[in-house]
Amino acid sequence: MRRIERLINLIAALLEAEVPMTAEQIRERISGYDSAGSHETFRRAFERDKADLKAMGIPIETKQLDTFGDTPPGYIIPKSSYYLPELDLEPDELASLRIAAGAVLGVEEEAGTGVMKISMGAIDETAGAARPAWNADVAASQPLLTPLYSALAERVPITFDYQPAGADEPGSRRVRPYALVHRKGHWYLVGHDERSDDMRTFKVARITSDPKRGEGSYEIPAGFSAEKHVLAHVGAEGDHAVATIRFDRSLRWWPEQNLPGARAKDGPDGSYEVEMPVASLDALASFVVWWGPKVEIVGPPEARSHMIQRLERSMS
Amino acid sequence: MTQPSERLAKRLKRILLLVPYAIKHPGVSVEELSAKFEIKKDDLVDDLNLLFMCGLPGYGPGDLIDVDFDSGYVYVRMADYFAAPLKLTPVEALALYAGGAAMASMPEMEEADALRRALDKLGVALGSSADGSALVDVRFEADPSDHLRVIREGLTERKRVRLEYYSASSGELTTREIDPWSLYAALGRWYLVGLDHRSGEERMFRVDRIKSAALSDDPADVPDDFDPSTYSGAFRDRPGQPVASFEISPAVARWFEEYYPVRAASTLPDGWRAVELSYAKPQWVASLILSIGDGVRNVEPAEIAETVRSAAREIAAIYG
Repeated sequence: MRRIERLINLIAALLEAEVPMTAEQIRERISGYDSAGSHETFRRAFERDKADLKAMGIPIETKQLDTFGDTPPGYIIPKSSYYLPELDLEPDELASLRIAAGAVLGVEEEAGTGVMKISMGAIDETAGAARPAWNADVAASQPLLTPLYSALAERVPITFDYQPAGADEPGSRRVRPYALVHRKGHWYLVGHDERSDDMRTFKVARITSDPKRGEGSYEIPAGFSAEKHVLAHVGAEGDHAVATIRFDRSLRWWPEQNLPGARAKDGPDGSYEVEMPVASLDALASFVVWWGPKVEIVGPPEARSHMIQRLERSMS
Repeated sequence: MTQPSERLAKRLKRILLLVPYAIKHPGVSVEELSAKFEIKKDDLVDDLNLLFMCGLPGYGPGDLIDVDFDSGYVYVRMADYFAAPLKLTPVEALALYAGGAAMASMPEMEEADALRRALDKLGVALGSSADGSALVDVRFEADPSDHLRVIREGLTERKRVRLEYYSASSGELTTREIDPWSLYAALGRWYLVGLDHRSGEERMFRVDRIKSAALSDDPADVPDDFDPSTYSGAFRDRPGQPVASFEISPAVARWFEEYYPVRAASTLPDGWRAVELSYAKPQWVASLILSIGDGVRNVEPAEIAETVRSAAREIAAIYG
């Protein structure tokens, strides 16, 4: 019997088992495990099967069968953790998700499989519909998102190293994840931070270690809004200063069009002076140099001198 | 060892999807099923043949999965435990949720209402909090100008658009005629990809750098072989372009390689990263290096290093 057949038999048996099966029962009863072979051979094969199935996202659980731990543990796949719950999507809802999935860049294959799963029983197939006229790359392939999302969905507290903006060294954080938020091209984790006993927002790109899953569980309070916390965080990151930037007359359309709410006034020679909140003097300098000599930092003085010093270093 | 294991995982995942589908659609034809799963007919038949040996302990006639496809139509019975698919993996869930949420933030989408209902249901299934607030929240910046709407109309009507566009590398505003091929959002911004009639080449444009956009009456077709999935991030590497190399600090490295498809990268003993990046115009790569500021060193070739210095001098002159 081939290994893939043995794996299918293992999944079927553990899904249908009413009580967890011990390794010995698995060896004797499940077709594909050669009960005549040595115990060691079985053990190795079973451990490898278990690891591969878990890596595929198949929720094999290990249960202690008595409270003293004297007997060997049992294995089971709980139906509630294996099956996709019924979503009861209306045809128009499914059609809209299909369009959305077709527009995702970077994780096209996963989006396709996801749609396949949620549309399993659908009779009204809108497959083959016109491709959307636009695409979106939401960086969903960023590797840390998988463990963060799993912890969030299962409400498992996690520990990770985090290096805040401006810090030299990362520090360890223990966090209960409440939401994953994508804004302006970046992913943020919003959650309860144990050290400060308060809500915190963590930029995923600043998490410097793989998250480790902790003990216990938690609930997300009713009425929780991630939006408020992320706005505060993005705001706080940009709270450093308000800078005044002068756009040459040939470029005044850019702030007029893209910063419609900003405070602004006419400058000399038809130029346009606009106030912008900036994350840091360095971020401001990086933004401004892209425009070449047509955009100038007018103030505050420390922003100007930071720019001048940076340019001097770049000239040498 | 990883190679056969990956192939096996891929095949097993497919079977765990194929079986529920066949159970939910009894009598589906072999052709339809292989088209649906984008596999060859022979591979599908191999997958189905495999199931004959599978089932529940006992493995008697009442325990084994019953597969019948001799007539060309597929029936899978005695496998109720495989009647529903495996729940979404984290990446599948994120892809659907993020794609949907990105779409919901597009202006004037006909499907907006249906999509919001779908995302609510998906959120509940994925374990949103008790009062239904979402676990995953993706929002794209609204376009304060009207350009997105005009470009989308160009895409759906297959019409050429006329742009006034500011190019960061030349520092100039130019008028261009573009056949729009794709509009995509990445890293918080919108980009237009299309045929630029000025250069006769496929180019990408940042929507916020468009000063004006107008629809023309000229037809614009998307080539059959255009593949939008080759675009991701804010930049696309093209073969045959010159390559610049430089070193970036660890702080810069954390975001840089996500934004720019570096050709080669290696970590140096002091933690800095050596990267290679291809470019179309020296001015562009010089601006990029200038924008990194103190987090960059050892720029090669010398021509690029000199372009960086002269660009810095030119900007410094206005502060004089």
